[in-house]
Amino acid sequence: MGKYVFKSLLQVIPVLFIVSLIVFILVRVTGDPVALMLPETATAEDRAVLTEALGLDQPLYTQYMKFLVSALQGDFGQSFRYGQPALQLVLERLPASFELAVAAMFFAVLMAVPLGVISAVKRNTFTDLIISGISVIGKAMPNFWMGIMLILLFSVMLGVLPVSGRGGLSHLILPAFTLGVGLAAQMTRLIRSSMLEILSQDYIRTARSKGLGRMVVIGKHAFRNGLIPVVTIMSLQFTSLIGGTLITETVFSWPGLGQLLVVAVNTHDMAIVQAAVFVIALIVVITNILTDVAYRLLDPRIKFD
Amino acid sequence: MKKRQWTGMWITLLAVVLVLSACGGTSTGTDSNSASSGTEGSGAASTTLTIAAATDIESFDPHNNNNTSSEAVLVNVFDYLIKNDSEQNKVPGLAESWEQVDDTTWRFKLREGVTFHNGDPFTSADVKYTIERVAKDETLKQNSYFKNIVEVKAVDEHTVDIITDGPDPLLLNRLSKMGAGILPAKYIEDNGMDAFLKQPVGTGPYKFSKWTKDDRVVLVKNENYYGDEPKWNEVVFRVIPEASTRVSELLAGGVDVAASIPSTDIARIEGEADKKIVKAPIQRVLQLIFRQTEGSITADPKVREAIDLAIDKQGIVDSIAGGAGIVTRTSVTPGNFGADPSLYKTSLYDLEKAKQLLKEAGYAEGEAEMTISVSSQYKEQVEVVAAMLEQAGFKINMDVLEPSAFSERYSSKSFKEIFMIGIGNSLFDASNNYNRYMLEEAKGESDYNNPEVEKLLQSALVNMDPEAREKEYQQVQQIFAEERPAVYLYQMEGVYGTNARVNFTPRSDEMFYADEITPAAQ
Repeated sequence: MGKYVFKSLLQVIPVLFIVSLIVFILVRVTGDPVALMLPETATAEDRAVLTEALGLDQPLYTQYMKFLVSALQGDFGQSFRYGQPALQLVLERLPASFELAVAAMFFAVLMAVPLGVISAVKRNTFTDLIISGISVIGKAMPNFWMGIMLILLFSVMLGVLPVSGRGGLSHLILPAFTLGVGLAAQMTRLIRSSMLEILSQDYIRTARSKGLGRMVVIGKHAFRNGLIPVVTIMSLQFTSLIGGTLITETVFSWPGLGQLLVVAVNTHDMAIVQAAVFVIALIVVITNILTDVAYRLLDPRIKFD
Repeated sequence: MKKRQWTGMWITLLAVVLVLSACGGTSTGTDSNSASSGTEGSGAASTTLTIAAATDIESFDPHNNNNTSSEAVLVNVFDYLIKNDSEQNKVPGLAESWEQVDDTTWRFKLREGVTFHNGDPFTSADVKYTIERVAKDETLKQNSYFKNIVEVKAVDEHTVDIITDGPDPLLLNRLSKMGAGILPAKYIEDNGMDAFLKQPVGTGPYKFSKWTKDDRVVLVKNENYYGDEPKWNEVVFRVIPEASTRVSELLAGGVDVAASIPSTDIARIEGEADKKIVKAPIQRVLQLIFRQTEGSITADPKVREAIDLAIDKQGIVDSIAGGAGIVTRTSVTPGNFGADPSLYKTSLYDLEKAKQLLKEAGYAEGEAEMTISVSSQYKEQVEVVAAMLEQAGFKINMDVLEPSAFSERYSSKSFKEIFMIGIGNSLFDASNNYNRYMLEEAKGESDYNNPEVEKLLQSALVNMDPEAREKEYQQVQQIFAEERPAVYLYQMEGVYGTNARVNFTPRSDEMFYADEITPAAQ
């Protein structure tokens, strides 16, 4: 297993290199930060001075080489907007994003596992139909709309939960629930089909015919094997939660990576965009490696090579 | 056995969430207090003021910021030598008095007995350090406003001379805006700028306590403030970019004042018993600027007049801005030096005459084709303008750009016939509105060229006689009202929602001086 992890880590390097190159070029061809930094009344001369001071007058490859050399030393440049090291700004945001992602995942698992198992066990019944209906709605509901509706209901009308911002546990509930619902819907359906497949396997029939109780068969034999696809989807979703919760973070003014990235893109804060995408890419590849490891632990038949 | 393992996983997950949110809780511990003081504030003296804005500050470096929402917060921490009162009159700040020594030198008498938040005394050395920093460091975002200052001389401990490279009628305006916030020289020299930015120190009524980026800035009362005792123990500026969330936060009582209320939410807030909408004109006039390059259709004065007459400005204010706007025929609005009130609160609209003018200019229906470029933030306005112009017989192509793409096109001066833009005026002086029409600057953008205007503008730039200077700008405005290098739509208004527990009168400069916001009488 150690060898496998080592090999995977080696593959991370070219991935990160390519990601950094693409982002570097994209942020430079899509707009000019200098124009956004100066007031409308700034003169052409003011712009030229600032462009030069920021090194943006140099050819793209020179800029990239400089970026690469410093990035290898852990320096992703200074944020134009904040005047602080970009990587530090990104890392500052990780706990908030991580907290939200874990909480959303918690809500999702909490909802999806029982619903998915019930709907598989009671397949093609009225219960199954209801659960499927709910998960279709859950999947289709836009985060944005749902967030605003939850705020209206629980914060404005009932006054039981805070509207926005990051604070104690109470601040976490609405955004995590908003994010968790879509995820839960997806996971419910996956767990259902995965459980269905397993319930039709020979060994389940054997277990039943041995006279084992229904709960034991489902809980002990079927459930564990039904989990493998769930682990996949959890890992995929977790990485998208870390980097892609832009809308939910904005609706709830959650000071995470998503919000930082939205503002950075709008203000063409190149260093932050580069550092943020890099960090997100790193999280994605590491999560993928961890997922592989988790598979192998869950199902001994999958071998490390 | 298996079951217990799963229970274990649940508990672990739950524990992780609890621990993480507890971390969040400690770092923003004051939040829950402030939110509750907002909702339960009807009790005795509630001493936290919470204000919500749409954008965060950029940093605590007043010299390296270029957005109004930064300055709105920073004015509570850093003082200027001269302050603008709510009517934009110059009043003493850290300078007690000032006088002009000669054309290029101003002398300032500094207030004595003022200390920075870290206890350092405020002296002329701080003024010298601060003003020379912003005047000389070209990478600072405020540098373009201060680069004409060549030197600050410390005459004695409490007197400074500020010397400019030529006559500068705007010096006092510069010294009363962001970029002139006085920093502690010794503290920064001893600890470095990075340390200062982490723990900023000024002379203002409120001290820095905490800044969680894109979430909140927390300030606390400065017990040693030289002026009147600060009114609030704590002032919290929250960042809530999403407008509907900002409104909800106000309705739920989490904030006392919410800025940038969308016109669609005005009625909803006014419908609540303990909430109020307050408005004030701001320093931003929405306008259409024309290209007058030869060959351009908008080079024809008749076409420009037809455009002006075809647009029902009041109609746009009422329909798009929810009434929050004031029609004007000049961009130099009252409160700015050089304003001409005769052109304010008025507009021209005559659709029939517009159609006729277009015909006179030689264009049949649909022949006068033009492109209007605009940043997406004014999408609705441009749609209405285009519809109105088409009614008059124009053919309009709308070019709605994402803000940064608009900025880039704007600075490269590559718009076609017309661009729509809201232009602010942080110096409160007509020069800010008109420098773009001076020959050098206009080249490639509007290509406006009028030797008489050029002469007036050049003279006003260095004219140290305020009365004569004011006349020059008023003359320019009258010419512009005739020639229409731009058509002004309306001056925008800031729309704020407030909680009844505070009295808040918004300022035209959009600043939030915490001490101008007072707890309502119980």
